[in-house]
Amino acid sequence: MLLEAAFGVMGAGIGAGLVAIGAGLGIGQLAGKAVESMARQPEASGDIRGAMVLTAAFIEGVALFGEVVCLLAVLAGK
Amino acid sequence: MKYFTTRNKKYFQMPLALLIVLFFSILGTVNGETTESHATEEAKPVDVAALMIHHVSDTHDWHILDIPQGDGHYLPVAVHLPWIIYDSRTGFQFFGSTEALEASGKYKVYHEHAVAVADATPVLDMSEEEAKLNPDFVVISDAHGHGPAQIFKKATDVSVIDMSITKTVLHIIIVGFALILVFTSVAGAYRRRPGQAPKGMQSFLEPVIVFVKEDIAVPNLQGKHNRYLPYLLTLFFFIWFSNIFGLTPFNSNIAGNVSVTVALAILTFLITTFSASKSFWGHVFWFPGVPLPVKFLMMPVEIVGMFTKPFALTVRLFANIAAGHLMVLALIGLIFILGKGGTSVGGGLGIAPLTLAFGLFIFALEVLVAAVQAYVFTLLTAVFIGQAMEDHSHEHAHEGGHGH
Repeated sequence: MLLEAAFGVMGAGIGAGLVAIGAGLGIGQLAGKAVESMARQPEASGDIRGAMVLTAAFIEGVALFGEVVCLLAVLAGK
Repeated sequence: MKYFTTRNKKYFQMPLALLIVLFFSILGTVNGETTESHATEEAKPVDVAALMIHHVSDTHDWHILDIPQGDGHYLPVAVHLPWIIYDSRTGFQFFGSTEALEASGKYKVYHEHAVAVADATPVLDMSEEEAKLNPDFVVISDAHGHGPAQIFKKATDVSVIDMSITKTVLHIIIVGFALILVFTSVAGAYRRRPGQAPKGMQSFLEPVIVFVKEDIAVPNLQGKHNRYLPYLLTLFFFIWFSNIFGLTPFNSNIAGNVSVTVALAILTFLITTFSASKSFWGHVFWFPGVPLPVKFLMMPVEIVGMFTKPFALTVRLFANIAAGHLMVLALIGLIFILGKGGTSVGGGLGIAPLTLAFGLFIFALEVLVAAVQAYVFTLLTAVFIGQAMEDHSHEHAHEGGHGH
C-alpha cells in the first residue's frame, strides 16, 4: 500500500475511535442525567424517555458524520 | 448472594450454558489462530471489505440468493434489471440486462457504471499501471475482481447518463406499493366502518398516525399542519418501511444510499423554501435586532445555514442506516476472516457464537434505529418548515392586545 494511503487508513482508524469516544461521552452524560431526572420525578419518565431517545439520535448523527469522513479517508486511498 | 447459594438447579443452567459456549469459542478461535494452516487446497482469502461495500451498494441486478448445487457450483436466484442510459451520441438506449449491455459492443460496465468504449476488443499492448493512469482507457477486471484485468479504450467526447432501474429503485417501488396497499386498506376500513373501534391494521397504524400528527406536526407548524401532514406522514412511513425492508434477507438498502437521502433532503429543502414567509428571508439576509456589523456577519452564516440543515438530514439518515448494515456485515465477515478462507475451521466456528450474539444485538438495535431515524427526519422537517413559516411581524403587531 502506498505510504499516503497507509497514513490515510491509520488516521481513519484513530479518527473512528475518537468519534466513538465522543459519542460515548455525549450519550453517557445524556443517559445519566435522564435517569437521574426520572428518579426525581417518576411521573415524567414517559416524556423524559422520549426526549432521551430523540437527543441520543442527534448525538449519534454527529458521531456518524465523523464515521462517514473516516470511511471516505479509507476509500479515497484505494 | 442468594442467586448463587440457592439449591434450585435451574438458576445455574443459563450462566453455565453461556460459560460452556464461551469456553469452546475461545478454544476454537485460539486454536484457529495458532496452528499452522495445513490446507490441502488453496485457501482463498475472502475480501471482506469489498464484500461489505458491495452489499450496501446499488447494483443493476437483484441478486437474492445462491442455491448450492452440491458439486461446489451455485445456482443464482437473481433478477436482471434493465439499463436505461442516455448516450450523448445516440440518445436513449435500453438494455434488458448487463449481459445485453455488454453484448451490444458499445459499452462496458466499470463499477456499475456504463462506460462507452470505442472498441469492444481489449487493448493488449499496454500495461495495467499505464492504463490506470491514462484517462482515455478504462481497466476492467473480470467478474468480482477475480480474473485478469482487461483494458479498453474509452470513446471520446461521449457522456453516458445512467437512469436505469437499479436494485434500490426497484425496492423503492416495492416499498411504495406496500405503502399504497397498507394505507388504502386502512383508509377504506375507516370509510366502510365510520365511528367504530379500529380493528386489524387500523389499530396498529392509528396510534402512529396520530403520534405523527399530534407530536410532530401540530406543535411545530402553528395551525397550518393540515397542508404539510400528507408530506410528513409519507416521509415518516416511507423511511420507516424502507429501513425495515432493508433488514429483511432480500438484500435491500434504500436509505443507506446517499442518493436517496439527498433526494429526500432536497424535497424538504424545496418545501421549506417555498413556504418561507417574508420575515424568514428578512432574517436570512438582514437579521433584525442586532448591530450593523453583525448583520453583515450573519448574512453568510444564515445562507450557509440554509444549506447545512438539509445536508445534516442527508448524512444523518444515510450514515445511521449504512453504518448499521456495515456493522452486521463486518461481524459476519469476522467469521470469514478468522476462518481464513476455509482452512481454519476452529477459528471460524470458534468466533461464530460470539459474533452471532453480538450481531443479533446490533440487529435488534437497527430495528429501533429504523423507527427513530424516521421520527428524527420527520421531526426536523416539521421544525424547519415551522421555522421558515413563522411570521414574526404578527408578534410585534399583536403584542398589545393578545389575550386569551
